[in-house]
Amino acid sequence: MNDSPMPSPLLAVEALSVHLRTDAGLARILDDVSLTVPPGRTVGVVGESGCGKTTLMRAILGILPRSAFVPRGAIRFEGRDILADRAASARGRIGFVPQDPYLSLNPVFRAGDQILEIMRRHAPGTRRDHRAKLIELFRAVQLPDPEAALEKYPHQFSGGQRQRLLIAAALSCDPALVVADEPTTALDVTTQREILALLRRLAAERGLSLLFVTHDFGVLAALCDSVTVLYAGRVAESGPTRAVLDDPRHPYTRLLLACHPDRASDLTGIPGTVPAATAQPAGCRFHPRCPIARADCANAPPPLLSLPGGRSIACPHHADALPEPALA
Amino acid sequence: MPDPILAARGLVVELGGRRRLFRSIPAVRAVDGVDLAVAPGETFGIVGESGCGKTTLARTLLGLQREAAGEILLEGRVVSGQEPVAARRMRAAVQYVHQDPGAALDPWWRVGRTLAEGLAIHGVTDRAEQEARIAETLAAVGLDAAMAARYPHELSGGQQRRIGLARILLLRPKVVILDEPTAGLDLSVQAAVLRLLRDLRARFGLTYFFISHDLSVVRRVCDRVAVMYLGRIVEEGSAEALFREPRHPYTRALLAAAPRLDGQAAGPSLPGDPPSLRAVPSGCRFHPRCAMAVPLCAAQDPASEAAAPDHIVACHRWRDVPTEHRDAA
Ligand SMILES: Nc1ncnc2c1ncn2[C@@H]1O[C@H](COP(=O)(O)OP(=O)(O)O)[C@@H](O)[C@H]1O
Ligand SMILES: Nc1ncnc2c1ncn2[C@@H]1O[C@H](COP(=O)(O)OP(=O)(O)O)[C@@H](O)[C@H]1O
Ligand code: SF4
Ligand code: SF4
Ligand SMILES: [Mg+2]
Ligand SMILES: [Mg+2]
Repeated sequence: MNDSPMPSPLLAVEALSVHLRTDAGLARILDDVSLTVPPGRTVGVVGESGCGKTTLMRAILGILPRSAFVPRGAIRFEGRDILADRAASARGRIGFVPQDPYLSLNPVFRAGDQILEIMRRHAPGTRRDHRAKLIELFRAVQLPDPEAALEKYPHQFSGGQRQRLLIAAALSCDPALVVADEPTTALDVTTQREILALLRRLAAERGLSLLFVTHDFGVLAALCDSVTVLYAGRVAESGPTRAVLDDPRHPYTRLLLACHPDRASDLTGIPGTVPAATAQPAGCRFHPRCPIARADCANAPPPLLSLPGGRSIACPHHADALPEPALA
Repeated sequence: MPDPILAARGLVVELGGRRRLFRSIPAVRAVDGVDLAVAPGETFGIVGESGCGKTTLARTLLGLQREAAGEILLEGRVVSGQEPVAARRMRAAVQYVHQDPGAALDPWWRVGRTLAEGLAIHGVTDRAEQEARIAETLAAVGLDAAMAARYPHELSGGQQRRIGLARILLLRPKVVILDEPTAGLDLSVQAAVLRLLRDLRARFGLTYFFISHDLSVVRRVCDRVAVMYLGRIVEEGSAEALFREPRHPYTRALLAAAPRLDGQAAGPSLPGDPPSLRAVPSGCRFHPRCAMAVPLCAAQDPASEAAAPDHIVACHRWRDVPTEHRDAA
């Protein structure tokens, strides 16, 4: 996983910062975020809303809003810096599955035509090749009656089927990496489970890497080899999924997991809220909410410490016990 | 069980039927013969895939939607069979918290004005009394009184849920229908909201009708749980028994589908989407998706039976459903 020496990562986000000018001042949405996705692996990104997950995905896909800029850092895909070198833009080689299957397809065009249009722009071959391939993909994502599906409009598919369509779209240009932004959040658990199984199978069959954004630790546990926990635009903790879920170390991860209804011995929550990107606290961004914060925590951002087993923790005090009431 | 505070018998609700000049659009039965009994002070959970009729059931209990057949009893009194205005008036003790409480607030009004308006509609028009009750209720839901001066868009998701609760608490309800009260909330906010709900229930002696698709949450907070499938309740029991020993194949599939923190897949998955209300399958309406279906299932609708005291299941083959113990997560 993170510490496995070879093979070199397919995707490497290196000390990335993404800032944005707003009326309320400079929004520091991401700072110093690093993560790697090795070939054939599934990597999760978790964190509460507003911590920068979608912005990270957009940076990787090269679709940041115009007002955003990257003061520091790099994103390497297949060894090339795709932020610096626009020509090396990874369009097509990175597929994208969006969060809401209802909002992501234009209702007035046939779903098949919308995907064929993407293929026309980014995949080699004739329209006839594309059609044949899309039917093949519809079969792979288990859409009933693939030939007929090509002629249907988005509203003629159920929510789960639409998500299958969008997965087919994400695969249409033979990507090496698929990025998915909370793709099962809008679905029932039964459908969610089917979609997760489909993603797992497709990734294994095609040797795909997956970068999977979620706020659901159960989904993370079901799908991801390793995980990066974001808080307020910075990495709090990263490591193999099981290790992080079974033995969270960063105070934020520990408190957040203690909020899970399967785990909490009593429901507490975490006092305070995620700060606005325009008002990031100095030092450790979690310090105003951290029950074990010390005076030095507000001085400088804590560096990511490497621990055995491929884990990294951005907290020098991670070995300290949390006070009982916080986890009671 | 003590006398129920809220009960329904043989409740049927039809939606969308229209008679036009040249053709008529047939109605669908979104709720199709539901019996239920909610005990005072309990949290009664309703689970099921989207479209199975949870919100329609809630709207009907509330009096916003008229039933086509059956009875609703509130504190032992029949309150059904009324025109909408009368139905709502008789059920003032039942209040509803919308799934998206932000959407239920007027964006151009300060929160305090919306709250005062709700009081005025219910006959509390004295300014001083309004203000006192609003301040008291905001405190009860853990918000500062200054929050009354805010506009809805200035509130976080968690604050909007709290305002949504304050709004109905002002009306001193006995039964509160919570429709997906934690949908879209982050874990930490969800935990705080669930804790608040528990505290309010104890403090104001409330009864909750708790609609949710999050089984971890339901398991955590509900005393009793009913599982709905295509307008029917297919299983009902104490949360403890239902999660420990689910009897209906659908309940088992639903529980197995829920993602678990320990990463273990708990059982076979459930293929396909729920069928449409416009084409309800014959016999047991779950049979096209049921791994245990036998020919009888397509021919005959299973009756509800008591699988244990206080545990009801509607399945021809409930005795054959394997009963293994699911570990507490
Ligand atoms: N275009 C934008 N303009 C201003 N603020 C933005 C914009 N996009 C994102 N943000 C802010 O950046 C932070 C992170 O947002 P986002 O990446 O969407 O997080 P997540 O996906 O984890 O919820 C939030 O505080 C959000 O308000
Ligand atoms: N006005 C209507 N006309 C016809 N069908 C409707 C109407 N409103 C809702 N329905 C259908 O009734 C069923 C139950 O909906 P709902 O009660 O909202 O389910 P849930 O809350 O469980 O998701 C759904 O299949 C929905 O499509
Ligand atoms: S660095 Fe300090 S404030 Fe930040 S998580 Fe660690 S102890 Fe808490
Ligand atoms: S009655 Fe038959 S089809 Fe219905 S749930 Fe039971 S076994 Fe399955
Ligand atoms: Mg997002
Ligand atoms: Mg609903």
